[in-house]
Amino acid sequence: MTNIFKLKLSALGHPNPESFDCEDEKAYRSVVLWLEDQKIRHYKIEEREGLRNIDSDTWKEAYNAYQKDLVSPSLEGTMNEQLNWLLCYAVRLEYADNVEKYKNAKVEQSKQSAPSVVSSNPLDNLDFSSPAFKSGVERVSTVAGIGPHLDPKIRLSALSKILKTSPHPDPPKTETNVVLQPADVLKLLFVQDLRNLQTKINEALVAVQNVTADPRTDTKLGKVGR
Amino acid sequence: MVVRSYNEELKYLEKINPYCWKIKMGFQPNMNVEGVFYVNNTLEKLMLDELRNSCRPGQTGGFLPGVKQIANVAALPGIVGRSVGLPDVHSGYGFAIGNMAAFDMSNPKSIVSPGGVGFDINCGVRLLRTNLSEKDVVPIKEQLAQSLFDHIPVGVGSKGIIPMNARDMEEALEMGMDWSLREGYVWAEDKEHCEEYGRMLNADPSKVSLRAKKRGLPQLGTLGAGNHYAEIQVVDEIYDKYAAGKMGLERVGQVCVMIHSGSRGFGHQVATDALVQMEKAMKRDHIDTNDRQLACARINSPEGQDYLKAMAAAANFAWVNRSSMTFLTRQAFAKQFKMAPDDLDMHVIYDVSHNIAKMEEHVVDGKVKTLLVHRKGSTRAFPPHHPLIPVDYQLTGQPVLIGGTMGTCSYVLTGTHQGMTETFGSTCHGAGRALSRAKSRRNIDYKDVLTKLESMGISIRVASPKLVMEEAPESYKNVTDVVNTCHAAGISKKTVKLRPIAVIKG
Repeated sequence: MTNIFKLKLSALGHPNPESFDCEDEKAYRSVVLWLEDQKIRHYKIEEREGLRNIDSDTWKEAYNAYQKDLVSPSLEGTMNEQLNWLLCYAVRLEYADNVEKYKNAKVEQSKQSAPSVVSSNPLDNLDFSSPAFKSGVERVSTVAGIGPHLDPKIRLSALSKILKTSPHPDPPKTETNVVLQPADVLKLLFVQDLRNLQTKINEALVAVQNVTADPRTDTKLGKVGR
Repeated sequence: MVVRSYNEELKYLEKINPYCWKIKMGFQPNMNVEGVFYVNNTLEKLMLDELRNSCRPGQTGGFLPGVKQIANVAALPGIVGRSVGLPDVHSGYGFAIGNMAAFDMSNPKSIVSPGGVGFDINCGVRLLRTNLSEKDVVPIKEQLAQSLFDHIPVGVGSKGIIPMNARDMEEALEMGMDWSLREGYVWAEDKEHCEEYGRMLNADPSKVSLRAKKRGLPQLGTLGAGNHYAEIQVVDEIYDKYAAGKMGLERVGQVCVMIHSGSRGFGHQVATDALVQMEKAMKRDHIDTNDRQLACARINSPEGQDYLKAMAAAANFAWVNRSSMTFLTRQAFAKQFKMAPDDLDMHVIYDVSHNIAKMEEHVVDGKVKTLLVHRKGSTRAFPPHHPLIPVDYQLTGQPVLIGGTMGTCSYVLTGTHQGMTETFGSTCHGAGRALSRAKSRRNIDYKDVLTKLESMGISIRVASPKLVMEEAPESYKNVTDVVNTCHAAGISKKTVKLRPIAVIKG
């Protein structure tokens, strides 16, 4: 979390974003005050008195009232979540004030140290929002007895938990083919992947053997027992 | 211990289906779980006769009958599920040979027992295939048998021909088959087709006594004596064409080589050393067992941990041992056929351990648990799609190699889901003794045994012919009965039957 705060603070031009520690109550309060004073400016100057008393016990109340006035969605969240929203809000305002200036900004391409990997695994390119995916998860979840949830990905992770902790539940008779056929296909694909991997392992072993191998026998040592 | 008549004993046994008997609580004192054993009608008779004999007054000494031993194991602390006797079960030191038992790792009282692993740690079977046919081999099988005999040192006191010093040995103990791979004795694909990929990662050579290392060093790359052998076999019958095809066994008459060996004197010494330590640990931790031979220690005690680390080193020793013999076998074939082993397609089909304890995940009462699974004279048989079996067998289930005895057939089975739930993914390991070694020596003449093998068209090379009658087929249960029981009970599935044409033995 601290890194995100630092990034946003320095984007907003905070004087010393590097030394900011969100766990430090006092630093936290002064950053909130700084945001209102410099960036958000929701209150008139004289109304900021409550936030300005950063040593006072009533600061917390003022802060809550301030968030309510801003209609912050993070009011119920943790202190860090609340601050994060404030920072995001400030960044949004900053952008809105200088659209022309920021419009042409480009994201700096991070240096490509590793070549970009194009995944050939179809599972990596699944479209989680497609109706086909959703209905598939729905069917599998019903078979495994997983309760409803809006996000199919959460149901899928619940399914993986069930499969890990207990032996696989038997599908009901009517659904046998729906479950078993794709499972068989997956098994065959897996066996093929495994064979390729094993072949590569064997090739590597043979390559090493070319360097290390020196099998010898010495029949003089041999002795047949009685 | 309670003395009961045979008929009273029978009240504790219940036949729950044509291939399975239940041993009820109370058969032996303090049982924590029930016992179970798998038999067909023939094996059932052997099993119950053994119990009846032990009930006769005045019977003392020797091992307890197998059923009693299964029940005593059910009384060990921390055991879960059931104490399982496989169809080839027979009396052994503490645990019966052919007994499988799993202990809950999360229970601090759970134990590990060297008796539940056996003295020949990681004794196991490896099967190599070739692209040769019976007709290619039969005309020269005498020479081939001799060549194998010349390449692979056999017998009590035999010494290996792969030069090794103490440092090589330390590395081999830690690295297992990776050592053989590094030194160039095996192929990369061999490792892929081996239980645990031929290396137990928790091996710690510093937990192994100097004495064990001294015994083991000259013996690396030797077959040993007893029931160990190397056999040239041909495919006799294919039951499951798909699974056999996955293993590269395409046609009847195809030639294979089976190597059955273990960790030699090394493993024996590791087990002996551990038993001494464990007796102390039992006194200290107040562990009570029904049988003194069931010496054990809590898994998390120093003694338990030391044993597991030393056992893993012995397991690695056995894999290096079988790998060295794989190398020698390939050399023998290459010389005989003047072709490279690659061109003979001499791939390892699989390598199983049938004397070992392993940490595995299983479902117990609907929950996934980490267990320490002891398999003594019992082979792991994981079902299709189990993550611990090689990719080539993901669809068929793990190959299970069942070595017969001299002159009898051997089998390849595959693991099943039913076996996973009923027996923690375990099945039989071989024929299993019917007569004790001493009894065999008294009742059978070695010359008869050799003549009989010859008449069956089997070439044989033995280092010590006078011990051959201990291993005569008559001394063993019928391996076909054993395998058929496993198949019928559903705990593994028959894939291929192999018939020997040449045997070399200690």
